[in-house]
Amino acid sequence: MNRKAVITGTGVLSPIGIGRNTFRDAFFQGKTCFKPITLFDVSKYPVKIGGEITDFDPLNFLEKKGLRELDRSTRLVCSAAKLAIDDSKINITEDNTHSIGVSIGTTFGSLKSIAEFDRASLIDGPRYVNPSFFPNTVINSPASRISIRFKIKGFNTTISTGCCSGIDAISYASDFIRMARADIVFAGAVEELCEDTFLILHTFGCLSGSNGTDTRCCPFDARRDGIIFSEGSAVIALEEEKHAIRRNASILGYISGYANAFDYTSEGYFKCSGKGLENAIRISLKDACLDLKDIDCIFSSANSSKELDLLETNVIKKVFGEHADKIPVTAVKSMLGETYSAGGALACASAIEALNYGVIPQTVNYKEKDPECDLDYVIEGTRKKELKNILILSSDFYGNNSALIISKYA
Amino acid sequence: MNKTRVAITGLGVVSSIGIGWQEFWKNLLAGKSGISSVTAFDTSKHFTHNGGQVKDFSFEQYFSEENIKKYSRASEFALCATRLALEDSKIDTENKNTIIGTCIGTTLGSGQNTEIINEFLINKDIEIDNKIICQIPPHSTVTIIEELFYFNGPSIMFSTACSAGNYAIGYGFDLIKLGKADIMVVGGSDPFSRVAFTGFNQLSAVAPEKCQPFDKNRKGMMVAEGAGIVILEKLESALKRNARIYAEVLGYGLSCDAGHMTLPSVDGVENCMLKALNNSGVKKEDIDYISAHGTGTIANDRTECLAIKRVFGDRYKDIPVSSIKSMLGHAMGAASALEAVTCALAIFYDEIPPTINYETPDPECDIDCVPNKSRKHTINIALNNSYAFGGNNACLILKKYSE
Repeated sequence: MNRKAVITGTGVLSPIGIGRNTFRDAFFQGKTCFKPITLFDVSKYPVKIGGEITDFDPLNFLEKKGLRELDRSTRLVCSAAKLAIDDSKINITEDNTHSIGVSIGTTFGSLKSIAEFDRASLIDGPRYVNPSFFPNTVINSPASRISIRFKIKGFNTTISTGCCSGIDAISYASDFIRMARADIVFAGAVEELCEDTFLILHTFGCLSGSNGTDTRCCPFDARRDGIIFSEGSAVIALEEEKHAIRRNASILGYISGYANAFDYTSEGYFKCSGKGLENAIRISLKDACLDLKDIDCIFSSANSSKELDLLETNVIKKVFGEHADKIPVTAVKSMLGETYSAGGALACASAIEALNYGVIPQTVNYKEKDPECDLDYVIEGTRKKELKNILILSSDFYGNNSALIISKYA
Repeated sequence: MNKTRVAITGLGVVSSIGIGWQEFWKNLLAGKSGISSVTAFDTSKHFTHNGGQVKDFSFEQYFSEENIKKYSRASEFALCATRLALEDSKIDTENKNTIIGTCIGTTLGSGQNTEIINEFLINKDIEIDNKIICQIPPHSTVTIIEELFYFNGPSIMFSTACSAGNYAIGYGFDLIKLGKADIMVVGGSDPFSRVAFTGFNQLSAVAPEKCQPFDKNRKGMMVAEGAGIVILEKLESALKRNARIYAEVLGYGLSCDAGHMTLPSVDGVENCMLKALNNSGVKKEDIDYISAHGTGTIANDRTECLAIKRVFGDRYKDIPVSSIKSMLGHAMGAASALEAVTCALAIFYDEIPPTINYETPDPECDIDCVPNKSRKHTINIALNNSYAFGGNNACLILKKYSE
């Protein structure tokens, strides 16, 4: 198996910045994005704060034609795809389109469209529902619109695995490149900030500030009490190594290993033994043919919840043993918030920058030490370090766990 | 890597014509229709009122354990089909050295709980049950399977609409070939959805009475529900434990129309079949049976037949092509998984289920659609076609097991 998936471009839309350069500057500066939500009426909820992309205008990225019927998730992910296509300088033509695919992770990307379509049928009657909004109710609609807009005909896949969706979509894409099912895959994820998803997270009781306290996002900090829900999208251009070399592409790194493992001890919301995440990390290391000591930095999916931050800390200690203290761990969700399905893809987009600049982004807003969370978190500001292999983690409420290793291309 | 062969050793079915593959298969061969009037919700204001609901399903009958609670309908269907398939395969799931994973495809799946919540929101005197809200994420289906059966492998939910079952089976096949799992529980599940029923009604794509694929007077599809699960394992381990091998998975292909959200494209469908043939290493002359996507809409059946003519050339009339959607209706994300079960059984028994309700030939659909009566026919290799909204096409190829 000699086919390797290299990274040749990224496209990012996040509440701290749109486009690769703005995004990189923002997270190296430790910018955060939390503001009162304006996309829907939050007056009936105790939590009013979210990570909203306030300066998003799809017309900056997409042609106007056909834009009207697209929902927010679709506009976000199509824009991210456009940025990734441009960044990678891949020219999609009738000759190569059949070997190019799309792999997108999203879980609630179509939820608002589904709920609104159904509500219209209940309130106005089924015969008065506008059929042009029906296609938005399939969860693959955001991904499929990427293919339609940019004429990508190889394949089109949507993966819904909650917080693991982003990493799983990138892993799936890498498998497709390894197995020669495709030469190029635009892989990533999207999640939009909408009331229907907000209601679910509110019901879970996992939002910070649910108890009337201040809403804050401070991973690994003793004061952490829940997540801040955010939106965003990241799309990565993955390409078969030789294909990228042939067209003289600039190679930003490569996908060296990945795994997905379930934790059947899960009792919901990160209450579990950690065995699943442990398996995911071990299998991804094996897949990448790397030792524990080869990992230079960990992008944790810690999201400021009591449970997950401790779970990841404990699992990192268990897997890495004596090396655990020596590996810098950071949580980009301290700046971006919990973008749910998009989290893994945004972490991957940040890790690509970290790899190329030799700078680990900071876990911002860290003040009070939690005695149980005692790894080497990057809290003092960004940290310079030569990075060869970065491990990116994702854990989901329901027991899914994914790990992805990206490595410097030399 | 590519030497690993993958066998199907267990089948589980929840459908409008029967639960369990034995009843399903008996009714498929008998040409029984599962279409009846919709009771899942009020259809009095819709244009049509029939669908393929699973009316005799009782979750408690299959999961009577005390600690098992109620789940979304998509999850209950999938759990039931999984239990039936695992029992059918006689696999030892207790062995913790075996990596068992799950891939399930769906259109709306557990997201159908949104419809229940909407009823609550509109009828304000009812309290919302938090459990219903917490089960909205589609992957609650795949994770509950892994949780209740103590699996430790990959768990992936494919939300690729009406071809999702084939996506899930295909990736399960890849994961075994890549050595990432020993056994994969794969398939699709979808509940009867008001969103789908209303949407297809508004597109004038639903037949009022019955589903008549390839018939000149066909009036549309029938919204339905169900689940289909197949157990995939390494052929080597299946042989070692003397398992019943229904069929071998040879390969699959995906393609995307990249054209229209709802209308299928001949090019896209043709490409997908060619990719599946290429991936499986079989020639078009080797295909003995095609399980059609065959929804019964004007556009789908015409497109599919044209694509079949393009791929198979002069020989297209010699290949039996049937649509079991004429009997079950279109079970959305479960459809192609149920059709994969059908292909496996057709190969195992050398018998083809019919396309029922066929009355008037359509010159545009002049394939051999196995009209109205099942047929004995030696099947070595079968092709399972599926297409979806967004132009997501997935074709799977199965083969009779031989050394």
